[in-house]
Amino acid sequence: MNDRYIFRYIIILVAIVSILLSAAAMWLQPYQKRNELNEQRINILKAAGITGVDNKNAEQLFGQHCTAEHDGDLPYYVIDDHITVVPMRGNGLWGPIWGYLGLSDDLQTVVGAVFDHKSETPGLGAEITTEQYQSQYDGKQLLRDNDNISVDVDAIAGATRTSKGVEEMIDRTLKTYIPYLEKQ
Amino acid sequence: MKNLNLITAPLRKANPITVLILGICSALAVTAKLKPAIVMALSVTVVTALSNLVISLLRKGIPSKIRIIVQLIVVATLVILVDQFLKAFVYDVSKQLSVFVGLIITNCIVMGRLEAFAMAHKPWESLLDGIGNGLGYGAILVIVAFFRELFGSGTLLGYQVIPQGLYDFGYVNNGLMVLPPMALIIIGIIIWLQKPEEEK
Repeated sequence: MNDRYIFRYIIILVAIVSILLSAAAMWLQPYQKRNELNEQRINILKAAGITGVDNKNAEQLFGQHCTAEHDGDLPYYVIDDHITVVPMRGNGLWGPIWGYLGLSDDLQTVVGAVFDHKSETPGLGAEITTEQYQSQYDGKQLLRDNDNISVDVDAIAGATRTSKGVEEMIDRTLKTYIPYLEKQ
Repeated sequence: MKNLNLITAPLRKANPITVLILGICSALAVTAKLKPAIVMALSVTVVTALSNLVISLLRKGIPSKIRIIVQLIVVATLVILVDQFLKAFVYDVSKQLSVFVGLIITNCIVMGRLEAFAMAHKPWESLLDGIGNGLGYGAILVIVAFFRELFGSGTLLGYQVIPQGLYDFGYVNNGLMVLPPMALIIIGIIIWLQKPEEEK
């Protein structure tokens, strides 16, 4: 077992493995993409108050309910002609958090909210993904104070930083989106 | 049948979790619900079986100086493949399992069987040994998840099994069951029940 043999062995092994993995990744990518897209659709519909959507019927239901999709710098979705769903991006304690916020026709109340996170603490910050936390937003009035627009909900005990992150994310999103949507 | 023993021994007498105390970490993490536990059990079985088979086929050619590296490459490849498959075909479960699929690579059962068995045995026997150990790990996972989901959420595989009538009488789900410490306690109870049998 000389060194030449070891080098040759490992180079051939790694070459085989990389070909195998690339082939698998290319083959499975369309399926994975579709799953991610469906998850996005499920979340958008949920923010608009439509539940009971799963991976199988997401594409169909989204097609039925989503009446307009706006791209551009400030993308948003219109569900059933009257609910506007806007995407949100922000920072939690350990990593990024994101979600969707459904707004009523007159842009005065929240219809629903969905949140997800990369790596918040399970049992504390990760509670933002629970129904219990998210349902607080259903039907909440938007509070307007000059330029600042916010929503008033209970924070999660023990997860101050994540709660602050969510608050900051919503305030910032509303501040940029509401004037934009009002002009539309 | 000597070969049959390779599958049955890890189920009880040489169970990787309760006797060898390997793979505890993931057993605590993924057993709050039955479905992820079953998927995790199958994933680990596939990885142990195939990595045992591949390493056993390669065992005569593997330079002993770099054998751990070769084992790691094989295991890592299989784990990535399993992860990609789960993401493509059972997306919701793959989200629940999150990092734990990737962490199969650090599961001591996999490397342990490669070093202790596959490096010195024929491919067929190694494959059986891999399947046996995967199933032995999986059996404990499923038992633990069964009790945790039943008493923690009142459901099995997501279906309500504890009747509403019982809740009306004041029965409540045990929240502690959903948390990892309870998994450790259940594993402890399984070991306690299993111990006297071994000593016979």
